Amino acid sequence: MTMSFSLPLVKMQALHKSYGDGAIQVLKGIDIEMKPGDRVVVIGPSGGGKSTLLRVMMGLEQIDSGSISFDGKPYISSEGSAKKTLIDTNVRRSIGMVFQHYTLFPHLSVIQNLMLAPCKVRGERKASAQARAQALLERFGLGAKAKAYPAQLSGGQKQRVAIARALMLDPKLMLFDEVTSALDPELVSEVEQVIMQLASQNMPMMIVTHDMWFAKNIASRVIFCAGGVVVEDGPPEQVLGSPKEERTKEFIDRVFHIKQ
Amino acid sequence: MNYTFDFNSITFAPLLRGLAVSLELTVAANIIGVIAGFGLALLLMSPYRLLRMPFMLFVEFFRCTPAIVQIVWIFYCVPMLFDVFLDPITMGVLALGLNLTAFNAEAYRASIQAVPKEQIDAGIALGLNPWQRVLYIVFPTAFRASVPVLLTNGIVIFQQSALVAIVAIADLMYEAKSLATETYRPIETFTVVALIYFAVSFPITQIVGFLERRRQMLAS
Repeated sequence: MTMSFSLPLVKMQALHKSYGDGAIQVLKGIDIEMKPGDRVVVIGPSGGGKSTLLRVMMGLEQIDSGSISFDGKPYISSEGSAKKTLIDTNVRRSIGMVFQHYTLFPHLSVIQNLMLAPCKVRGERKASAQARAQALLERFGLGAKAKAYPAQLSGGQKQRVAIARALMLDPKLMLFDEVTSALDPELVSEVEQVIMQLASQNMPMMIVTHDMWFAKNIASRVIFCAGGVVVEDGPPEQVLGSPKEERTKEFIDRVFHIKQ
Repeated sequence: MNYTFDFNSITFAPLLRGLAVSLELTVAANIIGVIAGFGLALLLMSPYRLLRMPFMLFVEFFRCTPAIVQIVWIFYCVPMLFDVFLDPITMGVLALGLNLTAFNAEAYRASIQAVPKEQIDAGIALGLNPWQRVLYIVFPTAFRASVPVLLTNGIVIFQQSALVAIVAIADLMYEAKSLATETYRPIETFTVVALIYFAVSFPITQIVGFLERRRQMLAS
C-alpha cells in the first residue's frame, strides 16, 4: 500500500527550548515533518538536543515557542508571552515512549506493569488487559516472566518489557530514547530485534541512538542533530554513507573511527 | 560479685499491667505518627514557602529538643498556657504521637524524594494523570522504602514511652519504680524490666534488619 499524498504524521514547527531562563538553548528552531511509516533515527553529539527533542514530543519538557501536531491535530504549543506549554493529553496518548534507564515500576510484577495504564487510563477490563498483556509477552519471548518482578529480570528483558508496556496502549508512534545505551553489550541485540520486529509491521518510530549499525539497519531516514538544529536530513545511505554537510562528516568519521 | 539475686519478691502482675499501658501508648502514638507523618511530609514538600515554614519549624522543634523536655512541657505548660486539661494517657499519647509524627515525616519525605524522576516520566508517557501517578507510583514506592525507618522510629517511641513515668502515668517504668520501692529489690526489678523492654523491641529490630537486607538484595 503506497500513499502518494500522505499527510504528515508529525509536524514540528520552529521548536525552541532552553534551560535556565534562556541561558542554555537546547533546541534552536526545529522543523521536522514525519510521514506515516517513517522510521527516523536521530544521531548527533551528546548535548545536541536529540533526547530533549523526544522528551518535548512526549510532553515531558516545557518549550519556549513553537508547536507540534500529530495526525493533523496540534497537541503541543506554547502560549506566547505566558511561556506555558499547552499539551493535549488525548492526542499525546497516541504516542508511546521507551527510556534509556529501566523505568518499570519496581513494586508491580511484569504483567501488572503492562496492565496498569490500560486499566487505569482507558478503563479496560482486567481480564481483557491481562489476555492482551500475556499475548504481547509471549510474542517478545517473555511469556514465562509474567509474574516476575523487575528486579528479577536482566537489563535486556526489562527493556523488552518496557516496550511491551508502551505497546499496550496501541500507540500510533513510538519514541525510543537511547534504549540500549545502559545495556551490557551482549544484551543489546535482543532489544534491537524487538524494535526491528515492530519496524517490519510498519510502526512509525523515532529513535535516538549511538549505535550506528542499528541506525543503518532500521532507519528509513536519518537526521543529524547538533547544536540544537537539524544539520542534515536524508536517507541512511546519504547521511551515514556520504554526508553532504561538513559537521555530519566529521561526526560520522569520528564515530566509525572509534568503532574500528 | 557477691550479690545474691532474689527474684521471689518480684510480682509480675503490676509489671504486666504497666507493660499494657506502655504498649497502648506506643500503638496509639504510632497510629498518629504513621498517618499524620505522611500528611506532614506532603506539607513539608509544598512549593509554597509560607505554607512550608510553620511545618518545618514543628519538625525542627521536635528534632532539636530532648523528648523528656517535650513530655514535661506538654504535661505542665500546655494546661496552664492554653487551659486544656486532658487525662494523663491522652496527654502521653499526644506528646509521643507528635514527636513521632515529626520524625516519620522526615522518613516519608526522604522516600518520596528518592522516587526516581524517570518513574514519573514513564507514568506521564503512559498517560497517567497526576493523581494516578501519586497513587499508583509514588505512594507505593515511597511507603515501601519508608517501612524500615517507620518501624525503627516505632520502637524508639516504645522506649521513649518510659519517660512518661515521670509525669505519673502508670506505664511499665512507673510500675517498676513502685515495685522496686515496695520490695527493696531494685536490682532484680530493673533487670526484669530491662528484659521485658528488650523482649518486645528485639524481634522488631530483627524484622527491620531482614527488610533492609531484602531491599539491598532487590536493589542490586
